[in-house]
Amino acid sequence: MRYSAFRVLQEALRGHKGWRPLWRDPEPQAAYDTVIVGGGGHGLATAYYLANTFKQSRIAVLEKGWLGSGNIGRNTTIIRSNYLLPGNEPFYEFSMKLWENLEQEFNFNAMVSQRGVVNLFHTDGQRDAYRRRGNAAILAGADAELLERDALRAMIPFLNFDNARFPVKGGLLQRRGGTARHDGVAWGYARGADRAGVDLIQNCEVTGFRIENGTVKGVETSRGFIGAKKVGVAVAGSTSRVMAQAGMGQLPIESHVLQAFVSEGLKPTIPGVITFGAGHFYISQSDKGGLVFGGDIDGYNSYAQRGNLPTVEDVAEGGMAVMPMIGRARLLRMWGGIMDMSMDGSPIIDRTPIDGLYLNSGWCYGGFKATPASGYAFAHLLATDRPHETAGAYRLDRFQRGTVIDEKGAGAQPNLH
Amino acid sequence: MPDLEPITALGSNAPRSLSSGSLTLEENAALALASVSLRRNAPKPSPFGLDLPGPGGWTGSQGVSAFWTGPGQWMIEGHHRADSDFAVEVATSCPGCSVTEQTDGFAAFEIRSSMGEKPILRLMEKLVNIDASRLSAGSATRTGLEHMSVFVIRRAPDRVAVLGMRSAAGSIWHALEVAILRLNAAAA
Amino acid sequence: MLIPHPLLGLRDAQEFSYLGDASLLLRPDGMAENAAETFFPYVYLRENPAGLHRELWFHEQGDRSWLVVTRNTVTHEILGAELAGDVVARNRASRDGGDLA
Ligand SMILES: Cc1cc2nc3c(=O)[nH]c(=O)nc-3n(C[C@H](O)[C@H](O)[C@H](O)COP(=O)(O)OP(=O)(O)OC[C@H]3O[C@@H](n4cnc5c(N)ncnc54)[C@H](O)[C@@H]3O)c2cc1C
Repeated sequence: MRYSAFRVLQEALRGHKGWRPLWRDPEPQAAYDTVIVGGGGHGLATAYYLANTFKQSRIAVLEKGWLGSGNIGRNTTIIRSNYLLPGNEPFYEFSMKLWENLEQEFNFNAMVSQRGVVNLFHTDGQRDAYRRRGNAAILAGADAELLERDALRAMIPFLNFDNARFPVKGGLLQRRGGTARHDGVAWGYARGADRAGVDLIQNCEVTGFRIENGTVKGVETSRGFIGAKKVGVAVAGSTSRVMAQAGMGQLPIESHVLQAFVSEGLKPTIPGVITFGAGHFYISQSDKGGLVFGGDIDGYNSYAQRGNLPTVEDVAEGGMAVMPMIGRARLLRMWGGIMDMSMDGSPIIDRTPIDGLYLNSGWCYGGFKATPASGYAFAHLLATDRPHETAGAYRLDRFQRGTVIDEKGAGAQPNLH
Repeated sequence: MPDLEPITALGSNAPRSLSSGSLTLEENAALALASVSLRRNAPKPSPFGLDLPGPGGWTGSQGVSAFWTGPGQWMIEGHHRADSDFAVEVATSCPGCSVTEQTDGFAAFEIRSSMGEKPILRLMEKLVNIDASRLSAGSATRTGLEHMSVFVIRRAPDRVAVLGMRSAAGSIWHALEVAILRLNAAAA
Repeated sequence: MLIPHPLLGLRDAQEFSYLGDASLLLRPDGMAENAAETFFPYVYLRENPAGLHRELWFHEQGDRSWLVVTRNTVTHEILGAELAGDVVARNRASRDGGDLA
């Protein structure tokens, strides 16, 4: 079923009786060529590109809960491509280009909105660092503008420019950055994968791997054994748990909880995405009017999909420091998701020492923006056994080889990335 | 040499003070501080005859007092001695220990209640995440106050002192002042 | 979360900063022949368990002790805490046994 204005009109006249579920609910087959573990954004996008772009067949996505029940349905939906390091920036810009064409590509309204992302800076040193990052982005073909105080004030007058501790001195603007509807992204990829013949199997938890002579033969699941020639794991915060079942319990990954918050619906007030540079706080306004915001991870290993109050306080303080006007907005909902924090803050898309087993992980709290490119690059790797040209640096062995990609220069401490 | 005038941590010639309801807040510019830490396997000294307290403790006598700051570490307070070379005196009475001058690193604020311990407990509940009722007289602990690291010393049931980084003196004063004024506004 | 500090009793976790897995106490010998091989897992690899986790917390806004805290990463329940110095001393005493018992 393709969506169009005509179709909507037709259904309106027929009392909307012609709509069908977006995807089938198939029984698992005995074996597939490729099994993707994890029905989050990255798993679904991988299946989508494997089937549609790389023309592979006999593909299944195994999801332990329902599609999109993980971080893809929990994030603050910020997309941007203004990274600093050469290992990252071309990849994120590739992702941005895929975002720009995504809705046409999979015929689904993912509400991709390039409303702009401004990273505020508060000191001269920070201005220099942002200028450098902006220049790196431009060199990789992305867009970046450095706004001084007056230009920024004209654009976002309500910021607390004269905060005694954290005066706002300007911002790095990426106009092509913005937000997208996170659920819509998952549903669009899921529907597109299903239409191309991918089996999306929900309530199917992977509980083990069958590995013979160093080669993967399939996965044990809560719905029985499923054979596979290749298995791609994209389970975000559950990476260590799942990979331990394949005997790869020691990875450069820690799981941490990140919280997000939504206020009651308000009139349009926040023009794009704004991030506070002196603490950690980022905010945008959804099309329904809710202020969507978040801050740091809680900072300790966690598999609980909920965080603690000190972080709530910290996020609220960050918000009040940069835009005190939101102090009266009432909080509607808050929740947590489990991040796959890597040791250098950058992702992994690579083969593993086990033949036929591939890993997609380490997204930290920036993996939503990467969803299209991650899916594309992982599909490329699964289909061709070679890394995609923008993802060549995302190797699992980079930590051993000393070629880490550490945007913040924070070192091997995941809670600082 | 030009005439240099000493200023307090809050930047004026005289210590600042504030009185609201039953509470008085005072900048204590005359407090001398020196830290003492034990070398490995060294015996515990008794500077000025003080019996240095265990974890969480504060003890005082005759113008000097001491509180525990960590395993094998104490801060010694010399009241009304900020203008003397207090650390040298402490060092002489703590042979073999590492003694460091701390007077200029900290700013001290003394809070006093004229109506017993209740106002002190209520103020502490607003200020710090420690159980005020368990921080009885003779206790001292380091904790966070509006993101700043401070020592909180319960000198007596009706007295509490807050010691924090000297560079943050203004922010600490502001935090204490706001809390005291609000408490009294709420009570009024 | 409240951390039961062995010397100071229950303290707000906000006073602490977090380092990570307590296996960081088992620093390999940097002068050994195979230092590169032993340091790679020491610095970069983690077990990252869902369940009981022994981890290092630093009482930054407190007595500046390093603690080894045992915590459940699924429920956030804290089961105990000891001074890291005591753990190290114990490890040293039973060096042959080797691990973080
Ligand atoms: C609060 C929050 C805010 C965020 N904000 C942003 C943002 O603004 N911008 C940005 O770019 N990124 C953001 N992120 C990060 C982003 O959401 C993640 O990096 C990304 O979604 C991770 O990839 P995924 O979608 O595949 O993960 P998930 O959606 O978590 O997918 C993994 C799936 O694997 C499944 N699974 C786990 N174990 C098994 C098993 N044994 N068998 C079968 N299935 C299994 C899970 O159920 C889950 O559905 C945020 C994350 C959170 C939690």
